Amino acid sequence: MSPSYVLKRILLIGYTLLVVSLIVFAITQVLPADAAVMMLGENATPDALAALRAKMGLNDPIWMQYLHWLSGVVRGDFGVSMRTGQPVAPVMLEALGRSLLLALFSITLMLLVAIPLGIVAAVRRGRAADLGVGFLSYVGVSLPEFVTATLIVLLFADWLQWLPATGYVPLTEDPLRGLKHLVLPVLTVSLILIAHVSRMVRSELVDVLHSDYIRAARLKGLSKRQVLFKHALRNALLPTITIVALDVGYLLGGVIVVEEIFALPGIGRQLIVAIQARDLPSIQAGALIMATTYAVANFLADIAYAWLDRRIQYD
Amino acid sequence: MGEPILDIAGYSLDYATPTGFTRALDDVTLAIAKGEVLGLVGESGSGKTSLAWAIMRHLPKSAREAGSIRLTGQDLLKASEAEIEAIRGRRIGMVFQDPSTSLNPTLPLGEQLAEVLVRHRSLSRKQAWAEGEERLAHVGLKVPRQMMRRYPHEASGGEKQRVVIATAFACQPECIIFDEPTTALDVITARQILDLFKALQEETGVASLYISHDLALVSQIATRVAVIHRGRIVEQGGVGEVFARPQDAYTQRLLAAVPRPDHRLVEAAPETAGKPLVEVEKVSVLYGRKPFLGRLLGRANTQFTGNREVSLSVKPGEILGIVGESGSGKSTLAKAMTGLNRFEGEIRFAGRRITGLSDMDRAYRRDVQIIFQHPDSSLNPRQRIREILSRPLALYGEPGARKDAAAIGALLEQVRLPASYAERYPHQLSGGEKQRVAIARAFASRPKLVICDEITSALDVSVQASVIELLVDLQKRFGTAYLFITHDLNLVRQIAHRIAVMYRGDLVDLIDVAALSGADLHPYTRSLLAAVPAPATAAA
Amino acid sequence: MIEILRRMLRSPQGALGLVIVGLILLVVIVGPAFAPYDPEKMAPLMRYKPPSAQFWLGTDQYGRDILSRLLHGARATVLLAVLATALGTLVGAVVGTVSAFLGGRSDEAIMRTVDAIMSIPSLLLALLIVNLLGKSSLNALFAIALAFAPGMARVTRSVALSVRKQDYVNAAIARGESAAFIVGREMLPNVIAPIIVEMTIRVAFAVMLFATLSFLGLGAQPPASEWGLMVSEARRFMHLSPWMILWPSLAVALVAIGFNLLGDGLRDVLNPRS
Repeated sequence: MSPSYVLKRILLIGYTLLVVSLIVFAITQVLPADAAVMMLGENATPDALAALRAKMGLNDPIWMQYLHWLSGVVRGDFGVSMRTGQPVAPVMLEALGRSLLLALFSITLMLLVAIPLGIVAAVRRGRAADLGVGFLSYVGVSLPEFVTATLIVLLFADWLQWLPATGYVPLTEDPLRGLKHLVLPVLTVSLILIAHVSRMVRSELVDVLHSDYIRAARLKGLSKRQVLFKHALRNALLPTITIVALDVGYLLGGVIVVEEIFALPGIGRQLIVAIQARDLPSIQAGALIMATTYAVANFLADIAYAWLDRRIQYD
Repeated sequence: MGEPILDIAGYSLDYATPTGFTRALDDVTLAIAKGEVLGLVGESGSGKTSLAWAIMRHLPKSAREAGSIRLTGQDLLKASEAEIEAIRGRRIGMVFQDPSTSLNPTLPLGEQLAEVLVRHRSLSRKQAWAEGEERLAHVGLKVPRQMMRRYPHEASGGEKQRVVIATAFACQPECIIFDEPTTALDVITARQILDLFKALQEETGVASLYISHDLALVSQIATRVAVIHRGRIVEQGGVGEVFARPQDAYTQRLLAAVPRPDHRLVEAAPETAGKPLVEVEKVSVLYGRKPFLGRLLGRANTQFTGNREVSLSVKPGEILGIVGESGSGKSTLAKAMTGLNRFEGEIRFAGRRITGLSDMDRAYRRDVQIIFQHPDSSLNPRQRIREILSRPLALYGEPGARKDAAAIGALLEQVRLPASYAERYPHQLSGGEKQRVAIARAFASRPKLVICDEITSALDVSVQASVIELLVDLQKRFGTAYLFITHDLNLVRQIAHRIAVMYRGDLVDLIDVAALSGADLHPYTRSLLAAVPAPATAAA
Repeated sequence: MIEILRRMLRSPQGALGLVIVGLILLVVIVGPAFAPYDPEKMAPLMRYKPPSAQFWLGTDQYGRDILSRLLHGARATVLLAVLATALGTLVGAVVGTVSAFLGGRSDEAIMRTVDAIMSIPSLLLALLIVNLLGKSSLNALFAIALAFAPGMARVTRSVALSVRKQDYVNAAIARGESAAFIVGREMLPNVIAPIIVEMTIRVAFAVMLFATLSFLGLGAQPPASEWGLMVSEARRFMHLSPWMILWPSLAVALVAIGFNLLGDGLRDVLNPRS
């Protein structure tokens, strides 16, 4: 892995964000909403509206508005919320922090469960354990988040009454209550991820177990266990890194629904609120932050993969 | 012959399938003593690899066995899994066909050697690495210390196969199975590996089972030979005996199919006075493009050369052989001549100048046809044979000529296939039959030049012989010129009038077949000739 | 076609997927005719009923029959998902094929841009587009189609590139066939099978995405009986009657499972060499 590969990947992130910013700006600018009317209300005088439009640069050509907005974004200034009148950036970043906490817990739980499940299914291919894992992952992949979340709430919060159904308490304020509120959202997100990743681990491992070098290792007299843990796993788990990174993209979409259902004030929920209120600066900031998170996750996965898998020769 | 190390008696193997049992090995009996090399020769599907798996006790659950396989008296069929794991790698070693797939890509080469020493000889990791280094030096690797730390992708095919061989010999086993250990390698590398095998074999006296499809090669290294056909050992005995006086009909057919340079299949070269059919003038091919970012960073461009100013000519009705190892630019030239690669320089065909794709008009396309190596790839899997053969007829058939089922039937019969094959799909045909369809397609337009790009290298010897016979026959009938590309020097010496030798993109020699025995050769051509085992003494 | 069906039935996945999807399509076509009640008829005295002989799946907060609503809602849910996927596939296939055909720098530029668009989660992209076009089922359809197009472009391009490398395409070029013949007769039949497989699996995602949009209030609008919307409305009453939320959830899941199984089954069957 050469420095020029890393540089190339970083340039690609830049290009990605440029495209995303264009799309987001284009979509939000075509929204049939007059920012000035929204801020001052329907009863504002034409003079006041005109003055505000001039002040906000709404009379400028569209590309000027884009450049103006972009130059702010580069400096970390996403503008002022049309709903609350507060700067957008701090609110969104704080929300992102909460979402990342959710993602971190979910990915950890997923890795702890999905990898062993996938291994068991691959090693006991065609047996009851494999069919069981296969069935569960089919169901998990086929359930939309809102259905999974609803069923989990129904079970744990309504019938068993073990855990709170909604709400959020910062961990710094009350760690125990904070964790309790996180359990169900984390469970929902990780269940779906487990279904997906365990299936991937299984199919990768089945392929690897059929390869010549695994047979060669067995014929050198190594035991099944040695072959599995020393020879097979590292080759089967490498592609999983990429899959997990791609799942972050799903995760970001999924948190929108999960945060909404569990009233967790993360970036997904902020976005829903912003979209419902047609709060343009917040929508733009939220979408851009999500895309950035995804691009960065992919970048890190590619770097990790390149570092771990020495076969790949990047120029 | 002393007490046999490996003794297989009356061994049969069946695989359970949904429709009953299929027999893979039938009443196999053979023995290998210390210091002996038994060559097991057979074509694909003959069961030779099944026998290797059976000895290594690496069979699927659907296997049903009978008879015995004894290693110095111990019946391996009755051994427990733990006993087998202690025997594998320790008392029976194995060398595999392709070192690029039999080594784990994510572990250093040294680790894959050292783990055997740790497993079977209870060495510490440190001791195992030290010994591994010695072992690598012993198999002729120049920088053993560095090689231990390298990953498979950082070593060449020959280096990797040396590591595999060092691993097989590491615990001084009594018996080693060699499963086509040189098939995946280039001719010259294969020769070196073979020399290494001979040296180690003589030094250790290990009982060797050498599995191969290559009769010429086996005749050189084995003390005894066994011929396997459809799961049965049809003949076995001393090498000289079997090759000189084969008793079994199949062995005789197999021996007759082996290409021999002294057994010419074509008549003398056509008149030299004739004007060349095609002239290739300083044709160069460059692959890859200058990377945008690399240029920004001021790095050298990553283009590489496929062909460097290659010039040659083919006369009407002449067979020009092109030999060289993989990556030497043989196929690149074929692709340039058929418009599949951009090229610099020019091609002159029947008086027309061709400098690029756009110059290849309908007449050129009709007159110059290409047949590819793998019929699986060159025949569209979703078209029936009828559709495949109808295209060249539709494009190049004489106006008013027949394009109906009868015409397609005639094309099939021309390549000795039944006309009823027209309604089949390619996957319903055998490898040799598919290649015949590809030949029929090439000949449908009555071309003046057919480029054959390694067209027999994926086929078994006996199938190869019949395809070659067909090609020679077609050449006599239609006077077609061939550009015959192959890595098999013996084969090309049988059928070519002249031979072009390519090495790393350059044409290093272009000589008459008879001149190959002369002294005025490029050093590469000379080492190529030295590396190719001359086939066993001709069956009189 | 018959042959494909027969081979599908031989694998457990394919057979199950075929049966489920077949049943779903049956419900889509004739379901409303079999509905025991008018799906929008309210009955104030029959609210929150559990399943019974009279109401097989129970009733909702207005006393409407859930079974009838599900049977009517199949059309809105499944048909729109299929149409959205088909539209997205078409757009993606054109972009992917053009990109593979152009090759070189144009290919790289197109694919980098497709990657960039894919870094917006498809649900978010769909949300933004629906917000731009306005809340409705039709707009949700366009949003899902657009959100799927980049992914399908990637798939199509990689399949087209691998087919492009095959020697039967080289043979056709060397033979002097026209570009239209090569693309239409040699490449397309080999490209289409993997795309159909991918498309089938994506119908499952489209059903889920469409239901999710409705759930968030941006897809189908009340009093429609779209399944995602039914779940959304039932959430407020799940303490009173869990059945109300269970049935449409299961229906969405069943459709997704059916298309997932069908796709996996097709993948095995459509391989010409198996």
